[in-house]
Amino acid sequence: MASAKGRRLQFDLDDEDVKLFCEETEEQIEILDSALVQMEGEPDADLVQQIFRAAHTLKGASATIGHKKMASLTHAMETVLDAVRTGKRKPTSEVVDALLAGLDTLRILAQEVTTRVDSGAETTTLEANLLGLLEATEAPTASPAPAKAARPAERPIPAAVREALAHEAQLGRSVLRVTVAIDPACQLPSIRCFQVLQELEEQGTVHATWPDRATIENGTAEFTLEAILTSSSDEDQVHAAILDITDIAGVEIAPLAIDEAEDSPAVIAAPAPGTRPQLTVVTNDAAPDKAPVHKASQSVRIDVERLDGLMNLVGELVIDRTRLQQIREQLSVVIKGANLKELEANFEETTAHLTRVTDELQEEIMRSRMLPVRSVLTRLPRMVRDTAAKCGKKVELVMSGEETELDRSVIEEISDPLVHVLRNAVDHGIETPEERLAAGKPEVGMVTVRAWNQEASIYLSIEDDGHGIDCDAIRRKAVEKGLLTREAADAATDDAVRQFVFLPGLSTAKKVTDVSGRGVGMDIVRTNIERLNGQVHVRSVLGKGSEFIIQLPLTLATTKALMVTSRGTVYAMPLVSVTEALDEGAAEIHRAAGQTTLRLRDRLLPVRDLGETLGDSRPNTEPPGSRFVVAARHGDRHVAFMVDRLLGEQDVVVKSLGGLVGSRKGLTGATILGDGTLGLIIDIAGLVSEQASSTLAAA
Amino acid sequence: MAMKLTESTNDTAGSEATEEHVVIFRLADEYYALDIQTVQEIVRMPAITSIPGADTWVEGVTNLRGRVVPVIDLRRRCGVEASDPTADTRIVVVSSSAGMVGLIVDAVTEVTRIPGDQIEPPGVLVTGADNAYIRGVAKLENRLVSLMDLEGVLPSLVDGEAESAEHQLAA
Repeated sequence: MASAKGRRLQFDLDDEDVKLFCEETEEQIEILDSALVQMEGEPDADLVQQIFRAAHTLKGASATIGHKKMASLTHAMETVLDAVRTGKRKPTSEVVDALLAGLDTLRILAQEVTTRVDSGAETTTLEANLLGLLEATEAPTASPAPAKAARPAERPIPAAVREALAHEAQLGRSVLRVTVAIDPACQLPSIRCFQVLQELEEQGTVHATWPDRATIENGTAEFTLEAILTSSSDEDQVHAAILDITDIAGVEIAPLAIDEAEDSPAVIAAPAPGTRPQLTVVTNDAAPDKAPVHKASQSVRIDVERLDGLMNLVGELVIDRTRLQQIREQLSVVIKGANLKELEANFEETTAHLTRVTDELQEEIMRSRMLPVRSVLTRLPRMVRDTAAKCGKKVELVMSGEETELDRSVIEEISDPLVHVLRNAVDHGIETPEERLAAGKPEVGMVTVRAWNQEASIYLSIEDDGHGIDCDAIRRKAVEKGLLTREAADAATDDAVRQFVFLPGLSTAKKVTDVSGRGVGMDIVRTNIERLNGQVHVRSVLGKGSEFIIQLPLTLATTKALMVTSRGTVYAMPLVSVTEALDEGAAEIHRAAGQTTLRLRDRLLPVRDLGETLGDSRPNTEPPGSRFVVAARHGDRHVAFMVDRLLGEQDVVVKSLGGLVGSRKGLTGATILGDGTLGLIIDIAGLVSEQASSTLAAA
Repeated sequence: MAMKLTESTNDTAGSEATEEHVVIFRLADEYYALDIQTVQEIVRMPAITSIPGADTWVEGVTNLRGRVVPVIDLRRRCGVEASDPTADTRIVVVSSSAGMVGLIVDAVTEVTRIPGDQIEPPGVLVTGADNAYIRGVAKLENRLVSLMDLEGVLPSLVDGEAESAEHQLAA
């Protein structure tokens, strides 16, 4: 088939259906991605069946919308999978590689449905590879059927078909006998037959085919295809359309006179060698398995936007609830003594009920935004397999806790850091098979990914049994790069040194591979995770392995915060980063040489004015000594912030500041306060890192 | 102000044949117009939370029915003297490529249609920095209304660009 990258494509589906198609195919492709990797070696029958079904669904979907390339490629994959399923072929790594390569191209082809632009993806080689893997059932026979062999065998046409043809002829459509010969050198004749059939169906109605549809579908068709077609197009159009398909040796189209069909008595000519003489009458209902099989699902697809809209509404309700509570408090003061007890009682009851309902509503909606972390984990086996192959390592990936749930907002963010840490583990953690054997370890390295919930966080652990973190090597590298003096490096504890893996530019990899080693990865991982109010820790034993633990809040939609004011603006400081808040008067604050420091439990924290740090140019109006100090922490860095007033702790709904002002230093969002005005959410992580960096240098 | 819809049969060359449906507002003593398609609503001045360290024309952010909407002081943005809010001050909430944005204006005077043949290209009458966001000038009865290009008047999302635009305006 002619392929021109950038050419506009047409598919047989409405715009609304595009989304549906994409969701369906995405789902099947994901299933295939992780399942194919597991299929290598001695797979279990259920798994292969599941894979086969997924491929079949994809074929049906792509055929329905007329995506010929995709349908053809899936058909090739399905054929190979069928051989695996029936035991004719073992799923060696060669087979799995070919299938995975096909899957990657399928992804690109599926994209074409959205972009409607030809991606230029080539499928012929892939299909050839795939079918080359099968036992040579499809190879051309020694005496290739001559291109015109089918011609003399005029097929008998049953009465029912003749009637249909007569009807069509009356409607003015041409009745044609189409004979197609496929190049004997072609390795995939059944695929070509399938494509021809599809093309014919596009040109009009196919009333009969030889071989029958079932034979074509299950991949055993050979080099000749004959069909009776009625069409509004003329012969030349049909002719050209079929010639467009690769490997077509010849096409003959002749109008079929109905009466001619009627009296073909001497039609019992022997069929050409290898072809099947059956004739299946094709009605319009007997369409190939077009609709993807939907299993009765207990779940419903919801647009994320809809959920976000619901969340907004709940947010509004929460504000009203708070207001009502405030009014109730005001009322109780006013009506003390007056005989309005009953009024007050009713009011109290209503607000209590409203509070319960909104709390529950909020929780339910929060839950419906939760997804099992599985969706992020499914692509990992494939990734590990590919990375291990690239690095020449042997790695087995074990995962657990896939059902652990977290908010959609977090899932989207967690994928990249996870992939990066894993890549790191495979590339740098796990040793080469030779090194491992020499160290008395099994040749195949093991990487374990675990997910679990604890309190209000989700934890992801990535553990490898590789050679662990070499603290001395890191010390040397740090000194070499001028990040630390020799003395400081020697004095630092092993624990502290291990944290250096998160510093940019500090890779102890012997060489920079394609995969990693530039030393810019882990610091970005940490930055991104901390931006989400999460943390990442590392544990390691030299020679035994390392473990990275990523901790993230269950949801980014809300966060517990300490509310404070500074120069007239209300700020929310995420509690996860706050250690303590104290009265200025009660705090041990020293001012010397332009520096203000706070002594708090054997630690000296630099003290900064919150408003000033954020760039607020308005003057500070609070009298000295009446303010408050909030001690904040990020990792092992501590800074204290001076604020005007403490307003208490609160669950705040995080709202984005939007593109126009969003990239403001020190702020990660806004939240709607009880009185309807906005408070600003502080990026404590960012501020602490920035403020404390001078402290580190001095240490 | 009633405007007759004139036929475009005797057009002069160079002016758009189509009429424009606009919202006209006032900044100090100058009149501007925005395409009505971009205007979501017009509200009185709400409580605005200022963003520390933001540019001078960013007034802050406000809560609009549960959504956080940035508010820009259009007067400062256009180099016009900004005065304290009066009873007429309004926020014109628009939908732009940067999302929903609120624009502070001194007053909203009317919603009207301007026939194409009353619109002149900017060029002669508008100079300098204003050219970035004025796409035409209309003569209505006894005043000139500058047709504003929303995307041109909003700072681009890249900080650097926004800054240079500000310098240009301040010059």
